Amino acid sequence: MKKKRIYYALGAVLLLVFAGFSFSEFKESLTPYVPYEVALESQRTVQVAGGLAQGSSAYDTEDQFLRFTLVDQETAQTLRVRYHGVKPANFEDAVSIVAIGRYDAAASEFAADKLLVKCPSKYQGIEDTETKTYS
Amino acid sequence: MDFLSHHYMPGAVTIWCALIFALASLWGYSQVLRGDKRALSFARRGYAFFALSVVLCAAVLLLCLARRDFRIEYVAQYSGLDLPFHFQIAAFWAGQKGSFLIWLLWGALLGLPLRRAAGRDEASVMGVYLLTQFGLLFILVRENPFIMLSETPLDGSGLNPLLQDDWMVIHPPVMFIGYAAAAIPLAFAWAAMWRGDTDRWATRAFPWTLGGFMVLGTAILMGGYWAYRTLGWGGYWGWDPVENASLIPWLIGIVLIHGLYLERTKNRYRRLNLVLACLLYLSVTYGTFLTRSGVLADFSVHSFVDLGISRWLLLWMGFFFVGSIVLLAKQLPRVPTQVNEDPVVSRGFFVVASTIVVGLSAVVITFGTSAPLLTRFMENPGQVGPEFYNRVHLPLALVLALLLIPLPFLTWKGTGLRELPKKLAPSFLVGLLATGFAAWQGVEDPFHLLLVFLATAALSSNLHRTVEIGRSGQLAKAGGYLSHVGVGVMILGVLASSAYDQSAKVTLEQEVPQRVGDLTLTFKRFIPREGRTKERMEVEVVSDDGLRYMAYPKLFVNDRTRQLMANPHIRKTLARDLYISPIQYEPGSPPGVDQRLVLERGETGTVGDLEVRFVDFDASSTGRAAMARWSATGRLDVGVEVEVRRGGATTRLQPIYRLVGGGVETPPTLLPGGGAIYMTGLNPADETVQLDLAGIGVKPQPAKLSIDLTRKPLIKLVWYGLYIVLAGGALAIWQRLKAARKVDEIATT
Repeated sequence: MKKKRIYYALGAVLLLVFAGFSFSEFKESLTPYVPYEVALESQRTVQVAGGLAQGSSAYDTEDQFLRFTLVDQETAQTLRVRYHGVKPANFEDAVSIVAIGRYDAAASEFAADKLLVKCPSKYQGIEDTETKTYS
Repeated sequence: MDFLSHHYMPGAVTIWCALIFALASLWGYSQVLRGDKRALSFARRGYAFFALSVVLCAAVLLLCLARRDFRIEYVAQYSGLDLPFHFQIAAFWAGQKGSFLIWLLWGALLGLPLRRAAGRDEASVMGVYLLTQFGLLFILVRENPFIMLSETPLDGSGLNPLLQDDWMVIHPPVMFIGYAAAAIPLAFAWAAMWRGDTDRWATRAFPWTLGGFMVLGTAILMGGYWAYRTLGWGGYWGWDPVENASLIPWLIGIVLIHGLYLERTKNRYRRLNLVLACLLYLSVTYGTFLTRSGVLADFSVHSFVDLGISRWLLLWMGFFFVGSIVLLAKQLPRVPTQVNEDPVVSRGFFVVASTIVVGLSAVVITFGTSAPLLTRFMENPGQVGPEFYNRVHLPLALVLALLLIPLPFLTWKGTGLRELPKKLAPSFLVGLLATGFAAWQGVEDPFHLLLVFLATAALSSNLHRTVEIGRSGQLAKAGGYLSHVGVGVMILGVLASSAYDQSAKVTLEQEVPQRVGDLTLTFKRFIPREGRTKERMEVEVVSDDGLRYMAYPKLFVNDRTRQLMANPHIRKTLARDLYISPIQYEPGSPPGVDQRLVLERGETGTVGDLEVRFVDFDASSTGRAAMARWSATGRLDVGVEVEVRRGGATTRLQPIYRLVGGGVETPPTLLPGGGAIYMTGLNPADETVQLDLAGIGVKPQPAKLSIDLTRKPLIKLVWYGLYIVLAGGALAIWQRLKAARKVDEIATT
């Protein structure tokens, strides 16, 4: 019976270690929605949302750099965003854009790893065209 | 009378009938439980009419869709005149309301065989089962799919182009069979607890749980394949909330299946199984709440927007949550238990430990998917990315594979341990060989190498045992081992295809071969739409080992939404899949782009680096002599004299406008330094000429195609592994159905 208890204790320790590991990964991977001023200060990956400032988007086809300005619909604050990759379809028609990434202080713009673009749609179901990272 | 004018009557009436008959049947079964045996036939008839009403209701909606009856809002929202017939049918489950209806339809139909299978527990099991149907019934009565529009549109909005895929016809209905089947273990468990007799339910619920697991697994497989094959997301699994909502019940189902197995063979884990049966159904309602209430609208690709049913979904979930807690709290202490006397290195212990791993996976995915809810009350709500799930599952996969290796050769009593190394030796050898091969192929991460070793050893030890049992002529009993072979295969496939995929974004110029790794790609041409076949790109792929083929990825703009859609081309080989996904196409400009000048006598025009001055008409082409020549030969060259200045050099040229018979010819006059000049018109009245210039100053722009080139090694193993898991499940169902039939035989003798 003693031997068994040791095994149970070992199992409990393993479970605790796994719980701790998962929790730290959870915190690590969590990308919170933040206002622009928080994004400017933040060292971690965050999400910012806003509308596209009229005529602010420029796309460099050669290097595949998309630059545009987000406007917070409520506070009218703006944020310059840079995205390296293929320009999402119908980008100019976007109603709202979610950019996930972190602020690049050196270039004073937000470097997005991922864009989530919501287009005006009459469909109820799928509404987003997302640049997804799949595994 | 508002109701009458706003609802399509045949549909609205059937849904209300379904509700009334379901209530009647529930009342009947409750009378039976109170001891009134005569109420049984009433309850059965009630159920039959409930099922019939639901079938009719679905038939009405189907008919409206087939007839394109745009008076009905749902039909107008999800179908259109240009939809082919099979998508017209698939529009049934394209929206919230219709997908609830098909869920209810399967639920109502599954109740018919369930009634027979419940045997003498019919009244209690069917009573609880009917309760589970009310959640959907209330939502459908409230969110009726038969609401009529005040004005009938000429055409519907059409089906979302992303959903216009053959998989849309089959994947969602199968998924909803799986969801509907999740209510069955709960019905058996609640009924057992309600009766206070928890001896028989496990045997009866076992084949149903396995069946639900199979169907849900098949649906998940199809969904993954759909995402991989056509949606152009580059993968089969994205850890999206909607995907996770189907995975969590599946994993809980796996745990329950193993718990039921232990209960049947060792009479153990009887309390836990009751809890798990409740959790299985609760996970389905929770997943439905997460994805249908709109709480995740900002976080998921295919989450539905809120229809105002969040409260109903909460109520539905809350009812079964509270009910489960109350029943479990009351009954669990009364369930007899046995003291665990098995040694640690025994079959029972390893089964439990490995199912704990699967359970942990379900817990972790639940937490990850709930992140937006959990963090909602914090300052900034957020979500977790796919890397969270990927990282957390690496240790889980390692432990699971480790536990599965010795499992087939362990005994319940933990005896025969001395022979274990001998029995496992071949599997370890296979594992080592696979690890060596992986290292040779460039796998360096020690955890990945360990996982290759453990997963290969696990699959070969389980295969070993499956073959042993198969040889003894009892293959039906090897279902579990066969499934574990599939788990090993899947782990290898997931690891190879996700951790070792290679992806490159390349821009190809037309007819210019480009090397990417060991491949040479050439963009040949753009193929315009041909009937139902959308715009395609022709890309020639030549690999270094001499293989040559044409790939035809599709890239087109949907006519209705103006959305850019991409369908990848996938070249499948045993070792890897090559995935060519078009991203962007630029048609370029042809070399002979025309520039037109209209000049008066003496005037100078500029095109690019070229200056053109119209000097004068050619004297020889006018006058009496010219007219005579024209009438004699039927041919007249009208010439002009132009002075062309380029890069400091001046040249005189005579472009010609030639009248031949009734027609005109404008032969080109080549320009020094490239390009050509054509005289395409003259106006004698104001003495101007029209000159066209081609290929001047503008560099010809070739057409360009940007593609995403992805190589996914061994991705086939993911599908094959899942097929093997499901095949093992099928064997197990066969085995357990026989056992379930015996319950009543034993009881009656």
